[in-house]
Amino acid sequence: MFFHITLERNMQLHPRHFGPHLREKLVAKLMKDVEGTCSGRHGFVVAITNVEDIGKGLIREGTGFVTFPVKYQCVAFRPFKGEILEAVVTMVNKMGFFAEAGPVQIFVSNHLIPDDMEFQSGDMPNYTTSDGSVKIQKDSEVRLKIIGTRVDATEIFCIGTIKDDFLGVINDPGAAS
Amino acid sequence: MVEKGDKNFSSDKGKTASKLAASKEESLKGKDSAPVNKTRHIQVDSSDSEYEGFVDERSPASAKASGKASSDLKSGKKKVSFESLKTGRKTSFETPAAKGDWGKGGKDFNAGKAGGKGSLPQATAVKPRLTEIELKLELELPKNARLLMDCEAAEILQEIEEHKTILSEDPKVKFPESFNKVLQYTKFGGHYINSQSARKVLETLKINGVNDGEICMIGNICPETVEEVYALLPSLKANKHKNEGPIREVLASLAKVKSSK
Repeated sequence: MFFHITLERNMQLHPRHFGPHLREKLVAKLMKDVEGTCSGRHGFVVAITNVEDIGKGLIREGTGFVTFPVKYQCVAFRPFKGEILEAVVTMVNKMGFFAEAGPVQIFVSNHLIPDDMEFQSGDMPNYTTSDGSVKIQKDSEVRLKIIGTRVDATEIFCIGTIKDDFLGVINDPGAAS
Repeated sequence: MVEKGDKNFSSDKGKTASKLAASKEESLKGKDSAPVNKTRHIQVDSSDSEYEGFVDERSPASAKASGKASSDLKSGKKKVSFESLKTGRKTSFETPAAKGDWGKGGKDFNAGKAGGKGSLPQATAVKPRLTEIELKLELELPKNARLLMDCEAAEILQEIEEHKTILSEDPKVKFPESFNKVLQYTKFGGHYINSQSARKVLETLKINGVNDGEICMIGNICPETVEEVYALLPSLKANKHKNEGPIREVLASLAKVKSSK
């Protein structure tokens, strides 16, 4: 789920950037430092929408760097347990399949795929129902439910399930959805 | 889903009955050797309720103190609920005998109840509650966080993208990879003509006790039927009598603002 949030950060700026464009420099650095990062609390910081306030700088002794407290708003994306997501399948193997929802990787184990879907190997590995009406393969769009998350420094991994009502493939052309 | 819940429920019932029997045994033994409190759990083996008793003893002490333990419980949830089904079956064999004890065990009933708080019935209860907790959890995020539906995020991000391409003549300035991925993701989830109208429609659910997270999910999933909503958002079932009507109305109005994709 996306959310809009106000965050604070202490930015260190080298004295060579001081001058009439100090603010621009700070904002550019903030974007570079923050956008695309990932934390367990907020998930992915996708984009900064507004810089609310830049506080008074404080000279760091010894280095000459100046620390500015910066208050900014940003759009963040974080998957939550219990959330329903639509994701694109990126890889299928006999253990299950991987899907991607934005920057988030989701693994759906074969235990969490409906029992009537079986793995079919080949150059386009897939999971297919016995009557062949539903097929999950690379690039299929699936609706899944997040049941667990793990946050890395730069990535979020999720475990998902499609073994429930109203979950599963949503776009497959052959599917009778 | 409902069926499952029913099953669990009935298995719980069976279990308390068997626990009664077990606790009765315990109490009998307790009379023989009153101070031996801990060992009694080990003495009566073979019955499943004793296993529960053991976990029960552990859980109140440790569950709060260590988040790990509780997460263990959660991760072990699937197994546990499976086991509870199993024990449910077992206990159903035992019930006839246990039933006989029902009338007698006035005091023991309390003891049985206390044992009943053991992990298995709890674990089965955790399953439906889990999603609820997690949905609430996101609302416990910093106060200044405001949830966005995918379509709203898409609008904001598209604006930023345009803005940035104008701003950055400098080819060195590029978007992080995740930005493009997210942008693509939001476009793919764009169900509505515009997000304001969808938001306006969904906002009406707020007065019916549907929280921000749930509203946001309904907006993202774009469900077609009320059944779909309840299946995907089990937390809403608790207030079904109150929110079913409003949700039905909202879905109807949402269908009007859907983009024809």
